[in-house]
Amino acid sequence: MEKFMLIFHGPGSATQSPEQMEENMGKWMAWIDKLNKEERYVSGEPLLPGGKLVKGADKKVTDGPYTEGKEVVGGFFIINAKDLAEAANVAKECPDFEQGGTVQVRQVMKMDM
Amino acid sequence: MHRDSTIHHALEHLFRHESGRLVSILTRVFGPHNLGLAEDVVQDTLLEAMNSWKIRGIPRDAPAWLFTVARNKALDLIRKEKRHRDIVSVQSHLLESEYTLAPAVDELMKSRSIQDDQLSMMFTCCHPSLSAESQVALVLKTLCGFSVAEIAKAFISTPDTIEKRLYRAKEKFRQEKIAFEIPGENELDARLENVLLAIYLLFNEGYNSTDHEDLIRKDLLEESLRLGELLLQNAVTRKPPVYALLALFCFNSARSKARIDNQGNILLLKDQDRNLWDRSLISSGEQWLDKSAEGELFSAYHFEAAISREHLVAKSYDQTNWELILYYYDLLLRARPSPVVALNRAVVIGEMKGPAAGLEAIEKIPGIDGLQNYYLFHAIIGEFYAKLGNREQANEYFAKAKELTSSEKEKQLLVSKMQKE
Repeated sequence: MEKFMLIFHGPGSATQSPEQMEENMGKWMAWIDKLNKEERYVSGEPLLPGGKLVKGADKKVTDGPYTEGKEVVGGFFIINAKDLAEAANVAKECPDFEQGGTVQVRQVMKMDM
Repeated sequence: MHRDSTIHHALEHLFRHESGRLVSILTRVFGPHNLGLAEDVVQDTLLEAMNSWKIRGIPRDAPAWLFTVARNKALDLIRKEKRHRDIVSVQSHLLESEYTLAPAVDELMKSRSIQDDQLSMMFTCCHPSLSAESQVALVLKTLCGFSVAEIAKAFISTPDTIEKRLYRAKEKFRQEKIAFEIPGENELDARLENVLLAIYLLFNEGYNSTDHEDLIRKDLLEESLRLGELLLQNAVTRKPPVYALLALFCFNSARSKARIDNQGNILLLKDQDRNLWDRSLISSGEQWLDKSAEGELFSAYHFEAAISREHLVAKSYDQTNWELILYYYDLLLRARPSPVVALNRAVVIGEMKGPAAGLEAIEKIPGIDGLQNYYLFHAIIGEFYAKLGNREQANEYFAKAKELTSSEKEKQLLVSKMQKE
């Protein structure tokens, strides 16, 4: 088994009603439940919006990297999967696509080659 | 996707109800003229909660978590706009200094019970300077956490129309100094009437619409019950008409399963399977009705509840006590003179004395012209003509009724009536 990071971007729209938010949340929790039962789920953290970007030789601190919209990273999961294709299939179960969310799938590099 | 039912149950409208609670608290802090600001803070708070909880799960004390986030957002806002003097309802020098700002905001946010805030919100939303339509939309938006789209769906309206109504209401809040409070003794009864009417309209919208998606309908019924019960939690608003309204809700809801057949068609009272009536709702209704009699204040809701109850206790349609129902209608008509009530009374007369007497009663309705666009007016006259054997007249009225209703289910029912020979 390899480890993969699913990085969740967006959806970044604030137009959902409380009921829709609740429904969306229920779907996520059911998803995590399912991943747990399949022994895929390793860990996950939500990220607050905003943040800082430190850059350049002068270590300039600016707001960012992205402060709004679809680019914002809302959180990540670490999951187990056989290969990248399987991990991408897992990512397809993310409940946020209809609201415009995207998922970046990256393989965690193993150090014990 | 498989949905874990226990998870869903734990969440049952948590966001909606927390939204109502927080908007109420923040509207007290910011003042009704800043209602939009309070709504923005709450929307941000819920969004933050959703984004965190969906990955990490719901914290044990979710309401406290939400309260703290909302409080911090409110604090930031006040800090940022300190120079804009009208952002906080109560002016205090404690808000001027960074040293005392946080404790002062905490004091502002905590100083009253949650129920009182929501009750004050109800009275603010149902202020007599707003139209009844705006009041209901505002109650759904602020206290029940409905979005504009959801309100539009519930009222078979467009988001645009609802948006305009809400905008006008907020404009009023900005222009007029409307206090955020439970009114004092001298105007309480009159103001409570406005609140009850809004909740009553909310319930009727859920109860009468047969074309709605079932969920929205059920939500409206639940919300109207919840708001009514909220009024009972405070001794000041715990008045007989509130009990009577809740009794009416229970009695009417008790019949809802029997109102639709397996194909989703409307069943009239006389065709309903009385075994499908919900006994536990009937007994809750009985309890509320008993309570409603403790006191001297009798409202139209008392008589409406009594009429609804009378139908429920009849063993069969033939055993309905029409005389007692007519008596209640006479009282109701006195309490709330309206052509619609008079029309319903005419139906009772038709049951007691026959269709000709029913038609005669209709002709005598004061303000009968106001009923010309009401589909049931034509449907009822059609029914009387049908009973008299006058098919031609009957079908003319049924056709007119069909033209006036937008409900497909009602149209089907009327077509079936026209085809009967």
